[in-house]
Amino acid sequence: MSQAWVLGQRALREAWRTPEALVPTLFIPLFFLVVNVGQAGKIFPAASTEFLKGQGYGAFQLPASLLLAASFGTAALFLVEDIEGGYFDKLRATPIPRTSIVAGRLIAELAKGLLIATLIVLLGLVFGISIASGVLGFLLLILLTALWSCVFVGFMQLIALKTRSAAATNSGGLVFFPLLFLTPNFVPRDMLTRPMEIAASINPVTYVMEALRSLILDDLDWERIGRGFLVVAVLGAIMVALNVRMIRHYD
Amino acid sequence: MDTREPAVRAEGLVKHYGGRTGVVEAVRGVDLRVAAGEIFGFLGPNGAGKSTTIRMLTTLLSITSGSAQVAGVDVTHEPDAARRRMGVALQEAGLDPRQTGRELLVLQGRLFGLGRGEAAARAEELLALVELEDAADRRIKGYSGGMKRRLDLASALVHEPEVLFLDEPTTGLDPASRLTVWDEVRRINARGTTVFLTTQYLEEADALCERLAIIDDGRIVRQGTPAELKTELRERRGLASDPTLDDVFLDATGRTRDHVAGDVQEVTA
Repeated sequence: MSQAWVLGQRALREAWRTPEALVPTLFIPLFFLVVNVGQAGKIFPAASTEFLKGQGYGAFQLPASLLLAASFGTAALFLVEDIEGGYFDKLRATPIPRTSIVAGRLIAELAKGLLIATLIVLLGLVFGISIASGVLGFLLLILLTALWSCVFVGFMQLIALKTRSAAATNSGGLVFFPLLFLTPNFVPRDMLTRPMEIAASINPVTYVMEALRSLILDDLDWERIGRGFLVVAVLGAIMVALNVRMIRHYD
Repeated sequence: MDTREPAVRAEGLVKHYGGRTGVVEAVRGVDLRVAAGEIFGFLGPNGAGKSTTIRMLTTLLSITSGSAQVAGVDVTHEPDAARRRMGVALQEAGLDPRQTGRELLVLQGRLFGLGRGEAAARAEELLALVELEDAADRRIKGYSGGMKRRLDLASALVHEPEVLFLDEPTTGLDPASRLTVWDEVRRINARGTTVFLTTQYLEEADALCERLAIIDDGRIVRQGTPAELKTELRERRGLASDPTLDDVFLDATGRTRDHVAGDVQEVTA
């Protein structure tokens, strides 16, 4: 674990020394939040839209922006740089558990995810969004977003390890966009058309989004929150296992 | 006869890759024995199998068949134990450009199990060894090619390995930097570390190596001391004077000077 921690510190230094890679992670989700609220805000007025629970449409849209912020996977691009530059081989030539190589990057991703989610939610608070589930809900909101960023980076790292190419890894990240839109992104699931509702119900991102949304709009709804954390835990375990397997068999 | 355990032993080492055009036989049964404490040179033309062999010996590449031991440890069955006994500096000088030289060495020490204080002290010692104290706290991306090579060399020594693998340690360096790296290699060897190096430069092998092997098309085609190899060629060809190592290399690989000059090969490690 100590080796994972020192590798995590190294990955954090890497992120800190490359601020230009962090700026879009913050800017683009906020841009989409503003655009989406600007386009659909009048269709769903707070006073007469039941699913908003008295809040503005921005509160409904915030989870989508948080998920977007957590789905950039820049750590996977740093991994490609390590592979191309030979540093990855240097790490593989050390007697550390292969899990430490994966865990090191995930520790850094978790820390970055916590920071970015906190900034976005705080900005949301400044613009009138409130967290109905209170302080505990706020903390769970940040934590769930950050954990999702680890899952997504795990997925991106699989592409990086398989292709060893920055271009392919970047393109692989675009897979997330259909998944983000095959969700109750603009309205609750029961208001979607039947085919869309089926697609959203199959899509695991839906349950993370609904958990995040419930933390903003409702009091602590443990069933929904639990489903969101369960999806992240299952996908996270799968991603870690596949990453470790791929590094063990890396030739 | 030397009965000591060899520092590096390879028996029937084979590596096959699956390619689009079928199976590529990169290494076809390499046998090697490197005695403890020597500087051993591994030569060959581009694409001959040098890097593939060194990557198998250093646990970075799986072995299709055959076996390899480094410092008496089987690299396939006990890779972590083997990694603790070897240092590796590959062709690319695998460094993280966003870290400082000191940070890189401390991190490397921590990964080999040193405590924070121990790793810092070892980094200081190694920075002095490779004469990079003044640049220790600068980011690596600002280092020259020679400085990067020296830092890479230092990072391979952080855990005081018994065997040091250097894959083309001077490729791309200017003559002055090349001589500095040679000095480092000699100094490291003088402290008791066995050095296994691949190189394309025959004068480098002649200057540094006590024994060498030449690989061509995945097979060892010559093995011995530089003097033995030159004498063998002189006697076999009935030459009036001693041939150079270049002549030995060209004879062993079946190449002519014209062929080598025009040879372009794609290498896949």
